[in-house]
Amino acid sequence: MGKVQTEEKKNWLKRGWWLFLLIALGLIAPQVISEFYLLILGEALIMSLFALSFNLLFGTMGQLPFGQAAFYGLGGYGMAMLLTKYQANFWISFAAGIGVAALIGLLVGLFCVRLRGIYFSILTLAFGQLIFVIIYKWHDFTGGDDGIQGVFPPEFLKDPVAYYYFILIIFCLSALILWRIIHSPFGYTLQAMRENSERTEFLGIPIARYMLMAFVISAAFTGLAGALWAPFYRSVAPSTLMWVKSGEPVMATILGGAGLFFGPVLGTFLLTFIHAYLLGFTHFWPIIMGVLILLVIFLLPGGILGFIKEKWDNRQKQNQKP
Amino acid sequence: MILETKKLVKEFGKLLATNAVSFSLRPGDIHAIIGPNGAGKSTFFNLITGYHLPDSGQVFFKGQDITKLPPYTRCRLGITRSFQITSIYPKLTVYDSVLTALLSHQKATTHFFTSAKKYFKEEVWQILEDVGLADQALITGDSISHGDKKRLELAVTLGTQPELLLLDEPTCGMSPEETESIMTFIKKLVDEKGLTILFTEHDMGVVFGIARRISVLHQGTLIADGTPEEVRASEEVQRVYLGGAA
Repeated sequence: MGKVQTEEKKNWLKRGWWLFLLIALGLIAPQVISEFYLLILGEALIMSLFALSFNLLFGTMGQLPFGQAAFYGLGGYGMAMLLTKYQANFWISFAAGIGVAALIGLLVGLFCVRLRGIYFSILTLAFGQLIFVIIYKWHDFTGGDDGIQGVFPPEFLKDPVAYYYFILIIFCLSALILWRIIHSPFGYTLQAMRENSERTEFLGIPIARYMLMAFVISAAFTGLAGALWAPFYRSVAPSTLMWVKSGEPVMATILGGAGLFFGPVLGTFLLTFIHAYLLGFTHFWPIIMGVLILLVIFLLPGGILGFIKEKWDNRQKQNQKP
Repeated sequence: MILETKKLVKEFGKLLATNAVSFSLRPGDIHAIIGPNGAGKSTFFNLITGYHLPDSGQVFFKGQDITKLPPYTRCRLGITRSFQITSIYPKLTVYDSVLTALLSHQKATTHFFTSAKKYFKEEVWQILEDVGLADQALITGDSISHGDKKRLELAVTLGTQPELLLLDEPTCGMSPEETESIMTFIKKLVDEKGLTILFTEHDMGVVFGIARRISVLHQGTLIADGTPEEVRASEEVQRVYLGGAA
């Protein structure tokens, strides 16, 4: 019994250092990097939260949703419409964004959790596009292809550095909650469903109900990311709900590694920063991204972080031997 | 009676896999279902555990009609099964696999924020000691031997603390020594923990060595039901199945 415990504690000390380092880097970033890259960093954090929520369903539960952008966009639209059309308080609008995403997540989820595998992916894609089209076409209510402009954060968050810290705090809190969910009995149940759903059902787990719970949690955190995005960008556009946007967390997660909690974060950071950097030279950046993803799929099937962890674990083992 | 079926029928297309099987199981028994390949043993198992729904007939567990209940509800009532083709969690550790079963049975699976590692440590280690997997607790399920995978599956089913355990070919692919030790363990479960066991098995040595009652299926029909001596003495069983071998 004691063995597992002490091993866990040792691991935490050994593996935790880089997390503190990263948080420290995040805190001093505004003093070190230019405003342009600070904005890119803010975007990377928001998209990382999007990717982490996605990976609760993909990496942990083993189902690939392909319509998550709908919840991201709904989070943004929910907050932006309440804020601009009804002049609601910023925080109420913010919470409403999350609420709208979670509620629509529940409705869509009720249908999607009946299916598994590719059928699940296709149905989520179909619902995602349906929501996109509704928002895109319903000009009177949502502003259609004009989107919604003038989504301003409250006075004390208007400064880019202040809003960056706001994003950082929300990101860290959300990541902590998602981490705890994945390592909770509920998270273990999702992993068991991924590994062998038949076995798990015969252990007394109603699979569809647990899929639905995970789906709503994922939609809520995705909506939170969208609600962070709208005031950051000062507007929302229907393109945030489109299937192309749904592909971003998929690619980031595959690039970074779906099997590790921070894999999607690493993948998102790489994609966002490479994108920002290369746009200065060329419009052909999707080609470079495509090559990068191909290389990772063929050479590092566990993703970049999965590869690093494997090397690291092997080194630890060799150090322990003599 | 812990389990009863009444005129259970299941057809696949034109194949009558289960033909009006009425069967009952006493608590605390070790009961074997035998029959040639394709006799309908697995289908019968699947009807009891809810993997298939019968075309007609009923299944009762401790007097309650469970004919139409989904598998997870039957598991909650106390019926757990193992599979003929070993069904484990390849990428979960042996420890976590058993923990998952305990979490499910103890209704802890909707706890969202506490670390799963804090739950049921003693219970998990106890089960792992019992089945002899404690020294492999931190290895993933796909990297242990075939015999140990069978043990792991048994350990996982025990995590749900069942009253009735259905084992579909529990010693399939095991060496004679492994078979011996798993059968001893199953006997211990019945004697010490009061479980009831229903199992299918090809190895007649195992069947006649451990079963207290035996039912024989042939082409979906129950043709004999009784103590090992009665079954061995039955002429029809001799004719269609045992063929003088036993």
